Amino acid sequence: MTKSPVWLSERVQWIGALDPTMRSFDIILKTPNGTTYNAYAVRGSEGVAVIDTVKAECADQFFEHLEAIACYDEIKVIVLNHLEPDHTGALPELMRRAPQAKLYISQSAQLMIKALLNQQDIDFISVGTGDTISLGDRTLKFLHTPYLHWPDTQCTYLEEECILFSGDVFGCHFCDERLFNDKVGDFRFAFEYYYAHIMRPFREHVINALELISPLPINIIAPTHGPILRDKPTSYIQRYRELSGQRLQSEVNADEKTLLIFYISAYGSTTQMAQMIRDGAEQVPGVRASLYDMEGGDSDLFVDLVEDADGILIGSPTINGDAVKPAWDLVSSFAKINVKGKLAGAFGSFGWSGEAVRMLEDRMRGLKMRLPLEGVRIKLIPSSDELEQCRRYGQEAGEHLMGVNAPRVLDMADLLASRKQISN
Amino acid sequence: MAKAKVTFSDVNVTVNVPVGTRIIEISEAVGSYIAYNCREGDCGVCLFEVIKGKENMSAISKEEKAVLLARYQEIMDGWRATTDIDALQAKMQRENFIGKNCRLACQTQVFGDVVVAPL
Repeated sequence: MTKSPVWLSERVQWIGALDPTMRSFDIILKTPNGTTYNAYAVRGSEGVAVIDTVKAECADQFFEHLEAIACYDEIKVIVLNHLEPDHTGALPELMRRAPQAKLYISQSAQLMIKALLNQQDIDFISVGTGDTISLGDRTLKFLHTPYLHWPDTQCTYLEEECILFSGDVFGCHFCDERLFNDKVGDFRFAFEYYYAHIMRPFREHVINALELISPLPINIIAPTHGPILRDKPTSYIQRYRELSGQRLQSEVNADEKTLLIFYISAYGSTTQMAQMIRDGAEQVPGVRASLYDMEGGDSDLFVDLVEDADGILIGSPTINGDAVKPAWDLVSSFAKINVKGKLAGAFGSFGWSGEAVRMLEDRMRGLKMRLPLEGVRIKLIPSSDELEQCRRYGQEAGEHLMGVNAPRVLDMADLLASRKQISN
Repeated sequence: MAKAKVTFSDVNVTVNVPVGTRIIEISEAVGSYIAYNCREGDCGVCLFEVIKGKENMSAISKEEKAVLLARYQEIMDGWRATTDIDALQAKMQRENFIGKNCRLACQTQVFGDVVVAPL
């Protein structure tokens, strides 16, 4: 384990902490190699800046490293690129030991810092893109890069040395005491896995951030987790550009919209419904509808399709008063991407109670998808009338997708009564 | 009972409602894409756009105004330092944001015909 600070340059040191035995992070991530909490110190002619801190449990390592390279009264500036507790755990103690240091946070972090420290009267300075602070012969410049992966996140750029302190961006959970990307073991899988689970849901924000970062000359990217990227740093920016691009090559024309119909069926009734819904949707010019049997697929593969789709319908029978597990697995995977605003719906056959459809609808509504239609529920085997109802549902879904649905006028009492009947 | 017409332009549905109805009571039932979180005026997620009939809606309260302000900051360009609030408020008024084109669906009652859409 590294017991001394590590030099990035004459004026910049790594003063973070190693956590080699960590095996799951933030509940949702596996970490076979543990992780690091990277914090940095920058020395200017007029004082020292500390950039980020570490998890509370690792604070001893952090303070030991910090004390080896600076006195507390030299610290003029504390920059927080991200307020999550794994980077701010040592902050209260650092503020106590260096009370003269000014705290710099992003504009979106102002309410969070109060909730984090449970203190209303914190003295801080909020900064945005283009703001700078001088340490004499060294200058820190800020980049507002929100939602990577929290609302508060920002990057800090050391102008004279072209070092980007990127926060969690370009980071990964990979603990190796050799620290630099040209020295550590092969961490490519950790880098990809971290992007997929932490950054991917914020794809649009990644693209915006890359626009801010790309024009900067960069010698070193110094993230808050994992290896410090000093060898070919821009290749990681390029990789983020690829990862935030479209996963699948687009197969549809600009004037077409895609509707994915996922279904699973015990005795074929929900399958029949899915096929009729597809036929109905295909009647609407411009709709490209596709059918997928969830029994033969895997939500990890489907989620790439969903990310690019305009509309998603899910068909599930009701078993023991619930939708079936493959349907829930698919909906759970939506948390890895951004589905907000996509058209959604549910349908399914049932034996006697049929709760699955409304439960799936509620869940997708909760994910802020757009559900303009009540899904079709059919008791046991669909009759020809009921199949016609499915075709109409598919057609209406297609019309909503293309924005050509016919106007309807309703009375509120009828509207709410029909909803109540359905949910009973 | 006096009636009003609420048209949700995103789903092309018009609902005849008793006057005094809040948008939140019907928007989900017609499937309009106005999203909700807290449902009580705190979070600002249910921001919607008034396309027609702003004069037929309940007056905007001080609390709703504050939430709109916060949401506006977030939507436009992230949070600004709190000292900017007056300038921001002026900007919002110039750009027809507050109390004109945008409201919160969980707070706004209708007293006459309106046309609304998700933001």
